[in-house]
Amino acid sequence: MRSKIGLLVVFTIIFIIPTLNYAFAAGDEPGEYLDRRVVIWNLFFRMMVVAFTIGAVVSGTMVWLVWRFRESNPNAKPTKYEETGEW
Amino acid sequence: MVLELQKPRPIWQIMFSTHHTDVGLLYLIMSLAFFFMGGVLALFIRIELFLPGPQIIADSMTFNRMFTVHGTTLIFLFILPFASAVGNYFVPIMVRYKDMAYPKLNAIAFWMLPPAGALVWLGFADFTWYAQPPYSVISAPAPAADMWIFGLKIIGISQVLGSINFIVTILKCKHPDLPLSKMPLMAWSFLSSSLIVIVAIPTFAAALLMLLTDRMGMSGFFDPNVGGDPIAYSHLFWFTFHPEVYVLVIPAIGMMYEIIPRFSRKPIFSHSSGVFAFIMLAMVSFASWAHHMYATGMSFTEKTVFMVGTLAAVPASAMHVFNFLATMWGGRIKFATPMMWSVGGIALFFAAGAGGVVNSAMPLDFITHDSYWVVGHFHLFVMGTIAFGSFGFAYYMFPYVTGRMYHEKLGQVHFVLSFVGAILVFFTQHILGLFGMPRRVYDYPPFPEWIAMNQIITMGAVLLAIGAAIWLGNFIYSMGRGKPADMEDPFKLGGKYYYPYQQKTPHHD
Repeated sequence: MRSKIGLLVVFTIIFIIPTLNYAFAAGDEPGEYLDRRVVIWNLFFRMMVVAFTIGAVVSGTMVWLVWRFRESNPNAKPTKYEETGEW
Repeated sequence: MVLELQKPRPIWQIMFSTHHTDVGLLYLIMSLAFFFMGGVLALFIRIELFLPGPQIIADSMTFNRMFTVHGTTLIFLFILPFASAVGNYFVPIMVRYKDMAYPKLNAIAFWMLPPAGALVWLGFADFTWYAQPPYSVISAPAPAADMWIFGLKIIGISQVLGSINFIVTILKCKHPDLPLSKMPLMAWSFLSSSLIVIVAIPTFAAALLMLLTDRMGMSGFFDPNVGGDPIAYSHLFWFTFHPEVYVLVIPAIGMMYEIIPRFSRKPIFSHSSGVFAFIMLAMVSFASWAHHMYATGMSFTEKTVFMVGTLAAVPASAMHVFNFLATMWGGRIKFATPMMWSVGGIALFFAAGAGGVVNSAMPLDFITHDSYWVVGHFHLFVMGTIAFGSFGFAYYMFPYVTGRMYHEKLGQVHFVLSFVGAILVFFTQHILGLFGMPRRVYDYPPFPEWIAMNQIITMGAVLLAIGAAIWLGNFIYSMGRGKPADMEDPFKLGGKYYYPYQQKTPHHD
Protein backbone atom coordinates (compact mmCIF):
# COMPACT_ATOMS: atom_id res chain seq x y z
CA MET A 1 0.00 0.00 0.00
CA ARG A 2 2.79 2.40 0.95
CA SER A 3 4.61 1.72 -2.30
CA LYS A 4 1.44 2.52 -4.24
CA ILE A 5 1.05 5.81 -2.40
CA GLY A 6 4.73 6.55 -3.01
CA LEU A 7 4.29 5.84 -6.70
CA LEU A 8 1.27 8.14 -6.80
CA VAL A 9 3.25 10.94 -5.15
CA VAL A 10 6.10 10.50 -7.64
CA PHE A 11 3.74 10.61 -10.63
CA THR A 12 2.00 13.68 -9.20
CA ILE A 13 5.30 15.49 -8.78
CA ILE A 14 6.40 14.47 -12.27
CA PHE A 15 3.18 16.00 -13.61
CA ILE A 16 3.15 19.22 -11.55
CA ILE A 17 6.77 20.35 -11.67
CA PRO A 18 7.10 20.62 -15.49
CA THR A 19 3.77 22.45 -15.61
CA LEU A 20 4.89 25.02 -13.05
CA ASN A 21 8.25 25.29 -14.80
CA TYR A 22 6.48 26.25 -18.00
CA ALA A 23 4.50 28.87 -16.15
CA PHE A 24 7.66 30.38 -14.70
CA ALA A 25 9.88 29.88 -17.75
CA ALA A 26 9.36 33.36 -19.12
CA GLY A 27 10.96 36.38 -17.54
CA ASP A 28 9.29 39.73 -16.94
CA GLU A 29 10.62 41.31 -20.15
CA PRO A 30 8.27 42.11 -23.04
CA GLY A 31 8.50 40.08 -26.23
CA GLU A 32 8.92 36.82 -24.41
CA TYR A 33 8.40 33.63 -26.36
CA LEU A 34 6.11 31.97 -23.87
CA ASP A 35 2.65 33.41 -23.20
CA ARG A 36 2.17 32.82 -19.50
CA ARG A 37 -1.54 33.52 -19.67
CA VAL A 38 -2.04 30.77 -22.22
CA VAL A 39 0.00 28.39 -20.09
CA ILE A 40 -1.89 29.23 -16.93
CA TRP A 41 -5.27 28.97 -18.67
CA ASN A 42 -4.23 25.55 -19.98
CA LEU A 43 -3.28 24.55 -16.47
CA PHE A 44 -6.62 25.84 -15.28
CA PHE A 45 -8.60 23.87 -17.84
CA ARG A 46 -6.71 20.71 -16.97
CA MET A 47 -7.44 21.35 -13.30
CA MET A 48 -11.11 21.80 -14.12
CA VAL A 49 -11.24 18.49 -15.99
CA VAL A 50 -9.63 16.75 -13.01
CA ALA A 51 -11.89 18.60 -10.52
CA PHE A 52 -15.10 17.75 -12.34
CA THR A 53 -14.08 14.12 -12.81
CA ILE A 54 -13.25 13.71 -9.12
CA GLY A 55 -16.37 15.67 -8.22
CA ALA A 56 -18.57 13.35 -10.24
CA VAL A 57 -16.97 10.26 -8.71
CA VAL A 58 -17.21 11.53 -5.13
CA SER A 59 -20.77 12.84 -5.51
CA GLY A 60 -21.85 9.60 -7.17
CA THR A 61 -20.21 7.58 -4.41
CA MET A 62 -21.98 9.64 -1.77
CA VAL A 63 -25.39 9.18 -3.40
CA TRP A 64 -24.79 5.43 -3.71
CA LEU A 65 -23.59 5.20 -0.08
CA VAL A 66 -26.72 6.94 1.15
CA TRP A 67 -28.94 4.62 -0.89
CA ARG A 68 -27.09 1.37 -0.21
CA PHE A 69 -26.24 1.68 3.48
CA ARG A 70 -29.44 3.27 4.79
CA GLU A 71 -30.96 1.12 7.50
CA SER A 72 -34.20 0.70 5.52
CA ASN A 73 -32.37 -0.95 2.59
CA PRO A 74 -33.44 -4.63 2.34
CA ASN A 75 -29.77 -5.63 2.21
CA ALA A 76 -28.83 -3.68 5.34
CA LYS A 77 -27.40 -5.83 8.10
CA PRO A 78 -26.06 -4.94 11.54
CA THR A 79 -22.42 -3.88 11.60
CA LYS A 80 -20.00 -6.01 13.55
CA TYR A 81 -19.66 -3.19 16.07
CA GLU A 82 -23.33 -3.35 16.99
CA GLU A 83 -22.83 -6.75 18.62
CA THR A 84 -20.39 -5.36 21.15
CA GLY A 85 -21.98 -1.94 21.32
CA GLU A 86 -18.54 -0.32 21.05
CA TRP A 87 -18.08 2.35 18.43
CA MET B 1 -23.80 14.95 29.27
CA VAL B 2 -26.08 16.87 31.51
CA LEU B 3 -29.61 18.08 31.60
CA GLU B 4 -30.15 21.80 31.55
CA LEU B 5 -33.81 22.54 31.06
CA GLN B 6 -35.44 19.33 32.27
CA LYS B 7 -35.25 20.52 35.83
CA PRO B 8 -36.42 24.15 35.86
CA ARG B 9 -34.10 26.64 37.56
CA PRO B 10 -34.32 30.40 38.00
CA ILE B 11 -32.77 32.12 34.99
CA TRP B 12 -30.32 34.04 37.19
CA GLN B 13 -28.82 30.74 38.40
CA ILE B 14 -27.84 29.96 34.82
CA MET B 15 -26.80 33.53 34.02
CA PHE B 16 -24.40 33.80 36.95
CA SER B 17 -23.14 30.25 36.75
CA THR B 18 -19.61 29.48 35.61
CA HIS B 19 -20.27 25.81 34.96
CA HIS B 20 -19.35 24.82 31.43
CA THR B 21 -22.80 23.54 30.49
CA ASP B 22 -24.49 26.68 31.79
CA VAL B 23 -22.10 28.89 29.87
CA GLY B 24 -22.64 26.60 26.87
CA LEU B 25 -26.38 27.06 27.20
CA LEU B 26 -25.98 30.84 27.28
CA TYR B 27 -23.78 30.70 24.17
CA LEU B 28 -26.38 28.47 22.49
CA ILE B 29 -29.35 30.74 23.19
CA MET B 30 -27.47 33.89 22.23
CA SER B 31 -26.06 32.45 19.01
CA LEU B 32 -29.44 31.15 17.85
CA ALA B 33 -31.08 34.50 18.65
CA PHE B 34 -28.49 36.27 16.51
CA PHE B 35 -28.95 33.69 13.75
CA PHE B 36 -32.59 34.64 13.41
CA MET B 37 -31.83 38.37 13.62
CA GLY B 38 -29.15 38.14 10.91
CA GLY B 39 -31.39 35.90 8.84
CA VAL B 40 -34.19 38.46 8.83
CA LEU B 41 -31.74 41.01 7.41
CA ALA B 42 -30.78 38.53 4.67
CA LEU B 43 -34.44 38.14 3.78
CA PHE B 44 -34.85 41.91 3.48
CA ILE B 45 -31.79 42.06 1.23
CA ARG B 46 -33.11 39.30 -1.03
CA ILE B 47 -36.58 40.85 -1.28
CA GLU B 48 -34.97 44.14 -2.24
CA LEU B 49 -33.08 42.44 -5.07
CA PHE B 50 -36.10 40.51 -6.36
CA LEU B 51 -36.57 43.19 -9.02
CA PRO B 52 -34.42 46.07 -10.27
CA GLY B 53 -35.11 49.44 -8.70
CA PRO B 54 -35.93 50.30 -5.10
CA GLN B 55 -38.38 47.82 -3.54
CA ILE B 56 -38.63 47.83 0.25
CA ILE B 57 -35.38 49.42 1.42
CA ALA B 58 -35.36 53.20 1.34
CA ASP B 59 -31.87 53.90 -0.01
CA SER B 60 -28.50 52.39 -0.79
CA MET B 61 -27.00 53.54 2.52
CA THR B 62 -29.63 51.58 4.46
CA PHE B 63 -28.99 48.59 2.18
CA ASN B 64 -25.25 48.82 2.90
CA ARG B 65 -25.94 48.97 6.63
CA MET B 66 -28.16 45.91 6.42
CA PHE B 67 -25.69 43.64 4.67
CA THR B 68 -22.86 44.89 6.89
CA VAL B 69 -24.75 43.96 10.04
CA HIS B 70 -26.04 40.74 8.42
CA GLY B 71 -22.49 39.53 7.73
CA THR B 72 -21.04 40.70 11.03
CA THR B 73 -23.88 39.13 13.00
CA LEU B 74 -23.87 35.75 11.35
CA ILE B 75 -20.11 35.31 11.39
CA PHE B 76 -19.21 36.75 14.77
CA LEU B 77 -22.41 36.42 16.75
CA PHE B 78 -23.88 33.20 15.38
CA ILE B 79 -21.28 30.81 13.97
CA LEU B 80 -18.44 31.48 16.41
CA PRO B 81 -20.60 31.52 19.57
CA PHE B 82 -22.45 28.41 18.38
CA ALA B 83 -19.12 26.59 18.13
CA SER B 84 -18.28 27.89 21.61
CA ALA B 85 -21.60 26.52 22.87
CA VAL B 86 -20.81 23.07 21.51
CA GLY B 87 -17.23 23.23 22.79
CA ASN B 88 -18.36 24.29 26.23
CA TYR B 89 -20.80 21.44 26.46
CA PHE B 90 -18.64 18.69 25.07
CA VAL B 91 -14.91 19.42 25.31
CA PRO B 92 -14.59 19.07 29.12
CA ILE B 93 -16.64 15.85 28.93
CA MET B 94 -14.55 14.54 26.07
CA VAL B 95 -11.28 15.17 27.89
CA ARG B 96 -12.86 13.90 31.11
CA TYR B 97 -12.43 17.02 33.19
CA LYS B 98 -14.97 18.52 35.56
CA ASP B 99 -15.20 21.91 33.83
CA MET B 100 -13.26 24.26 31.60
CA ALA B 101 -9.78 25.08 32.91
CA TYR B 102 -10.76 28.66 33.85
CA PRO B 103 -14.49 28.72 34.56
CA LYS B 104 -14.70 32.41 35.48
CA LEU B 105 -12.72 33.44 32.43
CA ASN B 106 -15.11 31.29 30.43
CA ALA B 107 -18.12 33.17 31.76
CA ILE B 108 -16.37 36.51 31.19
CA ALA B 109 -15.65 35.52 27.56
CA PHE B 110 -19.35 34.86 27.07
CA TRP B 111 -20.57 38.01 28.78
CA MET B 112 -18.39 40.16 26.54
CA LEU B 113 -20.48 39.13 23.56
CA PRO B 114 -23.91 40.65 24.34
CA PRO B 115 -22.50 44.19 24.70
CA ALA B 116 -20.44 43.64 21.55
CA GLY B 117 -23.57 42.54 19.71
CA ALA B 118 -25.42 45.57 21.04
CA LEU B 119 -22.67 47.88 19.73
CA VAL B 120 -22.86 46.30 16.28
CA TRP B 121 -26.66 46.42 16.13
CA LEU B 122 -27.20 49.83 17.70
CA GLY B 123 -24.51 51.37 15.51
CA PHE B 124 -25.59 49.65 12.27
CA ALA B 125 -22.41 50.50 10.35
CA ASP B 126 -22.34 50.55 6.56
CA PHE B 127 -18.81 49.64 5.47
CA THR B 128 -19.22 45.84 4.93
CA TRP B 129 -18.00 43.18 7.32
CA TYR B 130 -14.37 43.99 6.57
CA ALA B 131 -14.48 47.75 6.94
CA GLN B 132 -12.44 48.41 3.85
CA PRO B 133 -10.40 51.64 3.88
CA PRO B 134 -10.18 54.31 2.61
CA TYR B 135 -14.01 54.50 2.90
CA SER B 136 -13.98 53.25 6.49
CA VAL B 137 -11.33 55.84 7.41
CA ILE B 138 -12.54 58.86 5.50
CA SER B 139 -16.29 58.66 4.94
CA ALA B 140 -17.99 55.98 7.04
CA PRO B 141 -20.41 57.82 9.33
CA ALA B 142 -19.73 58.01 13.05
CA PRO B 143 -20.65 56.78 15.60
CA ALA B 144 -21.82 53.63 13.74
CA ALA B 145 -18.35 52.82 12.39
CA ASP B 146 -16.65 53.40 15.74
CA MET B 147 -19.26 51.30 17.54
CA TRP B 148 -18.61 48.49 15.04
CA ILE B 149 -14.86 48.76 15.65
CA PHE B 150 -15.31 48.59 19.43
CA GLY B 151 -17.80 45.74 19.06
CA LEU B 152 -15.36 43.72 16.96
CA LYS B 153 -12.55 44.51 19.37
CA ILE B 154 -14.57 43.06 22.24
CA ILE B 155 -15.52 39.99 20.19
CA GLY B 156 -11.83 39.45 19.37
CA ILE B 157 -10.85 39.58 23.05
CA SER B 158 -13.67 37.19 23.90
CA GLN B 159 -12.50 34.79 21.20
CA VAL B 160 -8.91 34.84 22.44
CA LEU B 161 -9.99 34.22 26.04
CA GLY B 162 -12.25 31.36 24.93
CA SER B 163 -9.48 29.83 22.82
CA ILE B 164 -6.93 29.98 25.65
CA ASN B 165 -9.48 28.19 27.81
CA PHE B 166 -10.03 25.43 25.25
CA ILE B 167 -6.29 24.93 24.69
CA VAL B 168 -5.49 24.73 28.40
CA THR B 169 -8.49 22.49 29.10
CA ILE B 170 -7.49 20.07 26.38
CA LEU B 171 -3.73 20.04 26.82
CA LYS B 172 -3.41 20.45 30.58
CA CYS B 173 -6.65 19.21 32.13
CA LYS B 174 -7.43 16.09 30.12
CA HIS B 175 -7.47 12.84 32.00
CA PRO B 176 -3.98 11.32 32.27
CA ASP B 177 -5.33 8.03 30.93
CA LEU B 178 -6.51 9.73 27.75
CA PRO B 179 -3.67 10.25 25.28
CA LEU B 180 -4.06 12.90 22.60
CA SER B 181 -4.01 10.15 20.01
CA LYS B 182 -7.25 8.77 21.46
CA MET B 183 -8.98 12.07 22.10
CA PRO B 184 -12.25 12.43 20.12
CA LEU B 185 -11.88 14.27 16.84
CA MET B 186 -14.34 16.93 17.89
CA ALA B 187 -12.02 17.89 20.74
CA TRP B 188 -9.16 17.92 18.23
CA SER B 189 -11.16 20.29 16.05
CA PHE B 190 -11.51 22.72 18.96
CA LEU B 191 -7.81 22.44 19.77
CA SER B 192 -6.74 23.24 16.22
CA SER B 193 -9.24 26.05 15.69
CA SER B 194 -8.27 27.60 19.04
CA LEU B 195 -4.61 27.55 18.05
CA ILE B 196 -5.49 29.36 14.81
CA VAL B 197 -7.37 32.03 16.78
CA ILE B 198 -4.41 32.66 19.08
CA VAL B 199 -2.09 33.23 16.12
CA ALA B 200 -4.49 35.05 13.80
CA ILE B 201 -6.56 37.41 15.92
CA PRO B 202 -3.81 39.74 17.26
CA THR B 203 -3.13 40.96 13.72
CA PHE B 204 -6.70 42.08 13.25
CA ALA B 205 -6.71 43.57 16.75
CA ALA B 206 -3.79 45.75 15.65
CA ALA B 207 -5.51 46.60 12.36
CA LEU B 208 -8.67 47.68 14.19
CA LEU B 209 -6.65 49.89 16.51
CA MET B 210 -4.90 51.47 13.52
CA LEU B 211 -8.26 51.96 11.80
CA LEU B 212 -9.65 53.66 14.89
CA THR B 213 -6.70 56.02 15.30
CA ASP B 214 -6.89 56.79 11.58
CA ARG B 215 -10.56 57.69 11.96
CA MET B 216 -9.73 59.90 14.93
CA GLY B 217 -7.12 61.74 12.85
CA MET B 218 -4.26 60.63 15.07
CA SER B 219 -2.57 58.51 12.42
CA GLY B 220 -2.73 57.78 8.71
CA PHE B 221 -1.87 54.11 8.32
CA PHE B 222 -4.60 53.43 5.77
CA ASP B 223 -5.49 56.97 4.66
CA PRO B 224 -4.06 57.67 1.17
CA ASN B 225 -4.49 61.44 1.74
CA VAL B 226 -1.60 61.36 4.20
CA GLY B 227 0.46 58.67 2.50
CA GLY B 228 -1.23 55.66 4.07
CA ASP B 229 -1.89 52.42 2.24
CA PRO B 230 -5.41 50.89 2.20
CA ILE B 231 -3.98 47.67 0.75
CA ALA B 232 -1.97 47.21 3.96
CA TYR B 233 -5.29 46.93 5.80
CA SER B 234 -6.40 44.23 3.36
CA HIS B 235 -3.27 42.22 4.13
CA LEU B 236 -3.75 42.59 7.89
CA PHE B 237 -7.44 41.80 7.61
CA TRP B 238 -7.06 38.70 5.46
CA PHE B 239 -4.09 37.43 7.45
CA THR B 240 -6.61 37.07 10.26
CA PHE B 241 -9.76 36.29 8.39
CA HIS B 242 -8.67 33.69 5.93
CA PRO B 243 -7.51 31.51 8.85
CA GLU B 244 -10.71 32.58 10.59
CA VAL B 245 -12.66 30.81 7.84
CA TYR B 246 -10.99 27.64 9.06
CA VAL B 247 -11.84 28.62 12.64
CA LEU B 248 -15.44 28.57 11.49
CA VAL B 249 -15.30 25.39 9.43
CA ILE B 250 -13.07 23.16 11.57
CA PRO B 251 -15.46 22.90 14.56
CA ALA B 252 -18.32 22.20 12.12
CA ILE B 253 -16.30 19.31 10.68
CA GLY B 254 -15.60 18.20 14.24
CA MET B 255 -19.35 18.12 14.90
CA MET B 256 -19.81 15.92 11.81
CA TYR B 257 -17.12 13.60 13.20
CA GLU B 258 -19.33 13.15 16.25
CA ILE B 259 -22.53 12.53 14.33
CA ILE B 260 -21.51 10.41 11.33
CA PRO B 261 -19.95 7.41 13.15
CA ARG B 262 -22.78 7.43 15.69
CA PHE B 263 -25.53 7.29 13.08
CA SER B 264 -23.55 4.91 10.81
CA ARG B 265 -23.17 2.57 13.81
CA LYS B 266 -19.44 2.25 13.14
CA PRO B 267 -16.30 3.83 14.55
CA ILE B 268 -14.67 6.56 12.52
CA PHE B 269 -12.73 5.06 9.61
CA SER B 270 -9.40 6.72 10.44
CA HIS B 271 -8.91 8.74 13.59
CA SER B 272 -5.28 9.52 12.79
CA SER B 273 -6.03 10.90 9.32
CA GLY B 274 -8.68 13.16 10.87
CA VAL B 275 -6.12 14.50 13.35
CA PHE B 276 -3.56 14.93 10.60
CA ALA B 277 -6.05 16.78 8.41
CA PHE B 278 -7.00 19.16 11.25
CA ILE B 279 -3.33 19.98 11.91
CA MET B 280 -2.68 20.41 8.18
CA LEU B 281 -5.67 22.75 7.80
CA ALA B 282 -4.53 24.80 10.80
CA MET B 283 -1.10 25.27 9.22
CA VAL B 284 -2.06 25.91 5.61
CA SER B 285 -4.78 28.33 6.69
CA PHE B 286 -2.00 30.89 7.03
CA ALA B 287 -0.61 30.27 3.56
CA SER B 288 -3.45 31.60 1.49
CA TRP B 289 -4.67 34.97 2.74
CA ALA B 290 -3.62 36.99 -0.29
CA HIS B 291 -5.76 34.95 -2.69
CA HIS B 292 -8.45 37.46 -1.70
CA MET B 293 -6.27 40.17 -3.21
CA TYR B 294 -5.14 38.97 -6.65
CA ALA B 295 -6.70 42.09 -8.16
CA THR B 296 -4.61 44.51 -6.08
CA GLY B 297 -1.58 44.46 -8.36
CA MET B 298 0.46 41.65 -6.86
CA SER B 299 3.26 40.17 -8.94
CA PHE B 300 2.80 36.94 -10.84
CA THR B 301 5.17 35.14 -8.46
CA GLU B 302 3.29 36.31 -5.34
CA LYS B 303 0.00 35.25 -6.85
CA THR B 304 1.39 31.83 -7.73
CA VAL B 305 2.69 31.35 -4.19
CA PHE B 306 -0.74 32.08 -2.73
CA MET B 307 -2.47 29.98 -5.36
CA VAL B 308 -0.33 26.98 -4.38
CA GLY B 309 -0.80 27.84 -0.68
CA THR B 310 -4.55 27.81 -1.18
CA LEU B 311 -4.50 24.53 -3.06
CA ALA B 312 -2.54 23.03 -0.16
CA ALA B 313 -5.80 22.99 1.80
CA VAL B 314 -7.37 20.64 -0.74
CA PRO B 315 -5.69 17.37 0.36
CA ALA B 316 -6.56 18.00 4.02
CA SER B 317 -10.17 18.85 3.21
CA ALA B 318 -10.40 15.81 0.93
CA MET B 319 -9.10 13.61 3.77
CA HIS B 320 -12.05 14.68 5.89
CA VAL B 321 -14.52 13.99 3.09
CA PHE B 322 -13.03 10.55 2.37
CA ASN B 323 -12.96 9.79 6.08
CA PHE B 324 -16.68 10.53 6.29
CA LEU B 325 -17.50 8.45 3.21
CA ALA B 326 -15.37 5.52 4.37
CA THR B 327 -17.06 5.64 7.77
CA MET B 328 -20.49 5.47 6.16
CA TRP B 329 -19.37 2.62 3.90
CA GLY B 330 -20.54 -0.69 5.34
CA GLY B 331 -22.56 1.00 8.06
CA ARG B 332 -26.24 0.72 8.87
CA ILE B 333 -27.09 4.36 8.62
CA LYS B 334 -30.02 5.90 10.42
CA PHE B 335 -31.06 9.04 8.58
CA ALA B 336 -32.40 10.94 11.55
CA THR B 337 -32.28 14.72 11.33
CA PRO B 338 -28.69 15.24 12.61
CA MET B 339 -27.34 12.71 10.08
CA MET B 340 -29.28 14.31 7.22
CA TRP B 341 -27.74 17.69 8.04
CA SER B 342 -24.27 16.18 8.24
CA VAL B 343 -24.50 14.36 4.91
CA GLY B 344 -26.01 17.46 3.28
CA GLY B 345 -23.20 19.50 4.80
CA ILE B 346 -20.55 17.17 3.36
CA ALA B 347 -22.10 17.39 -0.12
CA LEU B 348 -22.17 21.18 -0.01
CA PHE B 349 -18.68 21.29 1.57
CA PHE B 350 -17.39 19.38 -1.42
CA ALA B 351 -19.18 21.73 -3.83
CA ALA B 352 -17.91 24.79 -1.97
CA GLY B 353 -14.39 23.38 -1.97
CA ALA B 354 -14.52 22.77 -5.71
CA GLY B 355 -15.60 26.39 -6.19
CA GLY B 356 -12.73 27.47 -3.96
CA VAL B 357 -10.21 25.60 -6.12
CA VAL B 358 -11.57 27.39 -9.17
CA ASN B 359 -11.46 30.68 -7.29
CA SER B 360 -7.87 30.22 -6.23
CA ALA B 361 -6.77 29.77 -9.85
CA MET B 362 -5.79 33.31 -10.66
CA PRO B 363 -7.04 33.42 -14.26
CA LEU B 364 -10.61 32.75 -13.22
CA ASP B 365 -10.27 34.82 -10.08
CA PHE B 366 -9.97 37.94 -12.22
CA ILE B 367 -13.29 37.11 -13.87
CA THR B 368 -15.10 36.34 -10.63
CA HIS B 369 -13.52 39.03 -8.43
CA ASP B 370 -16.10 41.16 -6.59
CA SER B 371 -18.91 39.41 -8.45
CA TYR B 372 -21.82 37.39 -7.11
CA TRP B 373 -19.67 34.29 -7.60
CA VAL B 374 -17.77 35.30 -4.46
CA VAL B 375 -21.03 35.74 -2.53
CA GLY B 376 -22.17 32.29 -3.64
CA HIS B 377 -18.83 30.65 -2.82
CA PHE B 378 -18.53 32.18 0.64
CA HIS B 379 -22.14 31.48 1.56
CA LEU B 380 -21.91 27.91 0.32
CA PHE B 381 -19.17 27.45 2.91
CA VAL B 382 -20.71 29.33 5.81
CA MET B 383 -24.30 28.29 5.26
CA GLY B 384 -23.98 25.07 3.29
CA THR B 385 -21.19 23.57 5.34
CA ILE B 386 -20.73 25.35 8.66
CA ALA B 387 -24.35 26.18 9.42
CA PHE B 388 -25.51 22.76 8.17
CA GLY B 389 -23.04 21.05 10.49
CA SER B 390 -24.11 23.35 13.32
CA PHE B 391 -27.85 22.83 12.73
CA GLY B 392 -27.32 19.07 12.70
CA PHE B 393 -25.48 19.31 15.97
CA ALA B 394 -28.19 21.53 17.45
CA TYR B 395 -30.66 18.70 16.78
CA TYR B 396 -28.15 16.18 18.16
CA MET B 397 -27.69 18.19 21.38
CA PHE B 398 -31.36 18.93 21.84
CA PRO B 399 -32.32 15.85 23.91
CA TYR B 400 -29.20 16.20 26.07
CA VAL B 401 -29.90 19.86 26.76
CA THR B 402 -33.65 19.69 27.29
CA GLY B 403 -34.34 16.08 28.20
CA ARG B 404 -36.97 16.00 25.45
CA MET B 405 -37.05 15.01 21.79
CA TYR B 406 -37.73 17.42 18.99
CA HIS B 407 -40.33 16.56 16.33
CA GLU B 408 -38.42 14.33 13.90
CA LYS B 409 -40.54 14.91 10.80
CA LEU B 410 -40.41 18.69 11.21
CA GLY B 411 -36.63 18.45 11.58
CA GLN B 412 -36.46 16.57 8.28
CA VAL B 413 -38.74 19.11 6.58
CA HIS B 414 -36.39 21.84 7.87
CA PHE B 415 -33.45 20.01 6.32
CA VAL B 416 -35.11 19.42 2.93
CA LEU B 417 -36.27 23.04 2.63
CA SER B 418 -32.83 24.30 3.63
CA PHE B 419 -30.96 21.96 1.28
CA VAL B 420 -33.10 22.90 -1.72
CA GLY B 421 -33.03 26.57 -0.67
CA ALA B 422 -29.24 26.57 -0.26
CA ILE B 423 -28.75 25.07 -3.72
CA LEU B 424 -31.16 27.54 -5.32
CA VAL B 425 -29.54 30.52 -3.60
CA PHE B 426 -25.85 29.77 -3.63
CA PHE B 427 -25.42 27.79 -6.85
CA THR B 428 -27.41 30.43 -8.73
CA GLN B 429 -25.28 33.17 -7.17
CA HIS B 430 -22.20 31.50 -8.69
CA ILE B 431 -23.78 31.61 -12.16
CA LEU B 432 -25.03 35.16 -11.63
CA GLY B 433 -21.43 36.15 -10.88
CA LEU B 434 -20.25 34.61 -14.12
CA PHE B 435 -22.95 36.66 -15.86
CA GLY B 436 -21.20 39.71 -14.45
CA MET B 437 -23.41 40.95 -11.63
CA PRO B 438 -21.26 42.73 -9.01
CA ARG B 439 -21.80 42.01 -5.34
CA ARG B 440 -22.98 44.53 -2.73
CA VAL B 441 -25.24 46.44 -5.10
CA TYR B 442 -28.54 47.98 -4.10
CA ASP B 443 -29.90 48.11 -7.64
CA TYR B 444 -29.05 46.56 -11.00
CA PRO B 445 -29.88 47.14 -14.67
CA PRO B 446 -32.91 45.19 -15.94
CA PHE B 447 -31.05 42.45 -17.84
CA PRO B 448 -33.49 39.54 -18.20
CA GLU B 449 -30.89 36.96 -17.07
CA TRP B 450 -30.00 38.99 -13.97
CA ILE B 451 -33.65 39.47 -13.05
CA ALA B 452 -34.48 35.77 -13.51
CA MET B 453 -31.52 34.62 -11.44
CA ASN B 454 -32.17 37.17 -8.69
CA GLN B 455 -35.74 35.93 -8.48
CA ILE B 456 -34.60 32.30 -8.22
CA ILE B 457 -32.20 33.33 -5.44
CA THR B 458 -34.94 35.18 -3.56
CA MET B 459 -37.27 32.19 -3.82
CA GLY B 460 -34.50 29.99 -2.43
CA ALA B 461 -34.02 32.48 0.42
CA VAL B 462 -37.73 32.27 1.19
CA LEU B 463 -37.42 28.46 1.41
CA LEU B 464 -34.53 28.88 3.84
CA ALA B 465 -36.60 31.30 5.90
CA ILE B 466 -39.60 28.93 6.02
CA GLY B 467 -37.27 26.12 7.12
CA ALA B 468 -35.78 28.31 9.84
CA ALA B 469 -39.25 29.30 11.08
CA ILE B 470 -40.23 25.61 11.27
CA TRP B 471 -37.04 24.93 13.22
CA LEU B 472 -37.75 27.70 15.70
CA GLY B 473 -41.32 26.53 16.24
CA ASN B 474 -40.18 22.90 16.56
CA PHE B 475 -37.57 23.71 19.21
CA ILE B 476 -39.76 26.07 21.24
CA TYR B 477 -42.68 23.60 21.24
CA SER B 478 -40.52 20.52 21.91
CA MET B 479 -38.62 22.18 24.76
CA GLY B 480 -41.82 22.33 26.76
CA ARG B 481 -44.01 19.58 25.33
CA GLY B 482 -41.77 17.22 23.36
CA LYS B 483 -41.69 13.54 24.22
CA PRO B 484 -39.29 12.82 27.09
CA ALA B 485 -36.01 11.57 25.62
CA ASP B 486 -34.48 8.23 26.48
CA MET B 487 -31.25 9.60 27.87
CA GLU B 488 -29.40 6.32 27.44
CA ASP B 489 -30.13 6.24 23.71
CA PRO B 490 -32.20 9.19 22.50
CA PHE B 491 -31.82 8.32 18.80
CA LYS B 492 -32.45 4.59 19.20
CA LEU B 493 -29.13 3.65 17.68
CA GLY B 494 -28.13 0.98 20.14
CA GLY B 495 -24.62 0.67 21.46
CA LYS B 496 -23.00 2.84 24.03
CA TYR B 497 -22.62 6.54 23.72
CA TYR B 498 -19.18 7.93 24.27
CA TYR B 499 -19.89 9.39 27.69
CA PRO B 500 -22.71 7.46 29.30
CA TYR B 501 -21.48 8.03 32.84
CA GLN B 502 -22.06 11.75 32.45
CA GLN B 503 -25.68 11.26 31.54
CA LYS B 504 -26.34 9.66 34.89
CA THR B 505 -24.66 12.31 36.98
CA PRO B 506 -26.08 15.67 36.07
CA HIS B 507 -24.24 18.27 38.10
CA HIS B 508 -27.42 19.89 39.40
CA ASP B 509 -28.38 16.87 41.50
